[in-house]
Amino acid sequence: MDIIFLVLALLALFGATSTIMFSNTVHSALGFVVTVLALAGLYALLNATFLFMVQIIVYAGAIIALLLFVIMFLNIQQSHAPKEPNKYLLMLVSAIVIVPFDYLLFKAFYSISFAGDANITTKDFGNIKMLGNELFKNWILPFEAISLLLLVALIGAVVLARKKERA
Amino acid sequence: MIEVSFMSYILLAIMLFSIGIVGVISRKNIFIIYMSLELMLNSINLILVALSRYFGSMDGQIIAMMVMAIAAAEAVVFLSLIVSLYRLKHSINIDDYNSLKQKGTL
Amino acid sequence: MSSNFLSWIVLIPLFSSILLGAMYLYSISVKKIADKYFTFFALLAPMASFFIGFLFFLGLLNGDSEYMYEPYTWLGVNGYIISMGFLGDKLSIFMVLFVTFIGSMIHIYASGYMKGDDGYGKFFSYFNLFMASMLLLVLANSPIIMFIGWEGVGLCSYLLIGFYFSEPLNVVAGNKAFLANRVGDLGFLVGIVYLFFYVGKLGFDYGALEDYVSIVPNHILVIIGVSLFIGAMGKSAQIPLYVWLPDAMAGPTPVSALIHAATMVTAGVYMVARFHFLYDLIPNVGVFIAYIGAFSSLFAAIIAMKQTDIKKILAYSTISQLGYMFVAVGLGAYSTGLFHVFTHAFFKALLFMGAGAVIIALHHEQNIFKMGGLRKKIPLIYSVMLVGTLAISGIPPFSGFFSKDEILLKAYNHNEYLIYGIGLFTAGLTAYYMFRLFFVTFEGKNYKERKMQHVSWSMKAPLVVLAIGAAFAGFIGYPKIFGGANLIDNWLEAWSGTPTHIEFSADIMLMSVSVLAGLIGISVAYFKFFKYDFNQDIKESGLVYNKFYIDEIIDFLIVRRIRDLSTFVAVVIDDGIIDKTVMSLSNGFINLGRRVGRMQSANTRAYAFFMLVGLSSFSIYLILKLGK
Repeated sequence: MDIIFLVLALLALFGATSTIMFSNTVHSALGFVVTVLALAGLYALLNATFLFMVQIIVYAGAIIALLLFVIMFLNIQQSHAPKEPNKYLLMLVSAIVIVPFDYLLFKAFYSISFAGDANITTKDFGNIKMLGNELFKNWILPFEAISLLLLVALIGAVVLARKKERA
Repeated sequence: MIEVSFMSYILLAIMLFSIGIVGVISRKNIFIIYMSLELMLNSINLILVALSRYFGSMDGQIIAMMVMAIAAAEAVVFLSLIVSLYRLKHSINIDDYNSLKQKGTL
Repeated sequence: MSSNFLSWIVLIPLFSSILLGAMYLYSISVKKIADKYFTFFALLAPMASFFIGFLFFLGLLNGDSEYMYEPYTWLGVNGYIISMGFLGDKLSIFMVLFVTFIGSMIHIYASGYMKGDDGYGKFFSYFNLFMASMLLLVLANSPIIMFIGWEGVGLCSYLLIGFYFSEPLNVVAGNKAFLANRVGDLGFLVGIVYLFFYVGKLGFDYGALEDYVSIVPNHILVIIGVSLFIGAMGKSAQIPLYVWLPDAMAGPTPVSALIHAATMVTAGVYMVARFHFLYDLIPNVGVFIAYIGAFSSLFAAIIAMKQTDIKKILAYSTISQLGYMFVAVGLGAYSTGLFHVFTHAFFKALLFMGAGAVIIALHHEQNIFKMGGLRKKIPLIYSVMLVGTLAISGIPPFSGFFSKDEILLKAYNHNEYLIYGIGLFTAGLTAYYMFRLFFVTFEGKNYKERKMQHVSWSMKAPLVVLAIGAAFAGFIGYPKIFGGANLIDNWLEAWSGTPTHIEFSADIMLMSVSVLAGLIGISVAYFKFFKYDFNQDIKESGLVYNKFYIDEIIDFLIVRRIRDLSTFVAVVIDDGIIDKTVMSLSNGFINLGRRVGRMQSANTRAYAFFMLVGLSSFSIYLILKLGK
């Protein structure tokens, strides 16, 4: 179990680092895919089976695909990418600056981790039936709101991206 | 072996989050900035799911799913905006998107 | 007679002034109101005041000692009480009577003089306001209320001198009058403040002041006395604050007649008489006042000898005669001084009004050397002017003789021989220059024939009335030694000062000497001017003609300096220092804002970075605070 976690974690970190490091846009996108998939694996490890599948379908499948589609649609080439001379310096500086915040978060979570051991869950924990139950019993309003949001996003995208030649 | 506990997941999530922030700040390529943003969202999802598993409640996972839906919507809008901006400025350098700049005199 | 009516003497002209002002504003903006409506209200006011004053006079004759009316307390602070109060004792009612009587006459005259003028209503509004202020001054029960009237007459003087404001010189003259008055008012205020500081707690009306003034240490009394007299100097045009009066002739002639001859200029004399309880305690200041009066008298007479404008000659004669009044009150003979105030009011108003009639008749010609031979043309004016000129020259039995002679007598009696000598010499000069004016205006040969403008009856009638007054008013002061009851001295008993002890023979001799001086002056004028040849050139130059260049000296020494100081303050201090400081402050803020504004670089990453920095610092703070 631990090994799997370690492998997945390292994979995720590796993917994230490559996302921010590469100059080529498409290479970064590919690195991002690696991260997403690794995270999907981690969800599975945490007994969130449905989420594992949704992550792959939605994130890796839809979002990344859309991203790559747009990159190619706009015909971004290596020459179009902006020149970034100070990339590594800035990364270093921001990494240093963000350390306190990380520490704070760590401390915050650490304090709740003593609430008790990880509890024992049933076999059904995290599967689609239970999730569906919870969703439609307690979270019905956010559910509806999200659908509305998706509708709005859909329409918005169409409006924003169309050609402006129409008078 | 290192015992994998709740805190390890949190630690991983925090590191991913930081990497995301660093990416947003240090890169000029707008796509990469977008991806760093998504990276941050994902790290949050991880935290939520870990919490859910730790406390045995389904709420975390449901929220994580909502976040995912929102991320999808956001991706759509973001990318259509990029298309629009690219049509206008023919550049994906975020420094070129500066029409709202404070001009010389007040 | 109820004391409450005292306030009506002041309030009726005041309300009339406000009404006339409102009517005038209506007339110029909405619909024109005919002159006769203005005239009705304007003439009604002073006559009504005269009527009420006369009723009080009868009351006083019947045996009442004084009337006092204090309607309300104006200021009551910390034990110092200042009330609005009217005092109708013998002195104030005396003043009220002749001020309102002569005022009414001049109002009638003015309704003819100002006929057809666009500002007719405005003129009478100001005129009535002046009457109200003067009456308030005279009827006041405390120095502060008197000061209100004092300022009011100064204001009206300014308004009326600059009445023809389209001509800038008139406005300058008005300003000069007001400013010279202001300098005097400063002295007056200093005096009042000192007085208030020392005795104010015990009540600040004249009665209380009279009772308690002796508490004040003597050197303070001297300061008060001199300061108050400085106020009188400004108001009554004595040296050195006389410079405004000749320039004030720029105003319409009725203004000169009322304000600058008969009433406002006598306010100073009245004030000294009112404060007699103070001046009695400081006789040295009184002598100083008398000397100032004597020198003013002489100085003005010398200047008058060479002037050519008819009104300016009369202005200088006013200064001269006022000098006589101050000689009298300075030496403690208050009733004598007031007697001269009384007679002077009659003949000076008469002379001014007559001069105004001559000016109108000759289509606004004011230079006497361009007149001449008017005797047969305007015989009525000729006669009344003759009466007035004889009166001012001190020829018996006209009024000026009695009052002026008594002043000289008092001076002689107080062993002030220098003052007596100056007064006598000035009397001669007065006769000389007044008859110079008279002969050149009405007689002479080779004068130009001109077409005369008709003078209306509304102007002539008051002239006649005043001429009668000028002729006979002296008899109320008919000296006792001739068997007459000196009514004025009896009436103003409280102010008559030390009684005169003089031998009968000495008295007769002094009288003859003063009459002789007058006659000498007349003869000299006769020989020089009776057959004046108008073809010769008028000499308008020389030291005396140019008023000894006093105005120029003052301008150079004082006015220019003040103007330079103002320029300095305005440019160096105001623009250079204060403006620069304030502007640099505000400019600093603007620049700061601009610099801050540059933060809006639209550089998204910069924003993100700053957000991060903020987040980070907040985290650091929390870590340090929570310490876990």
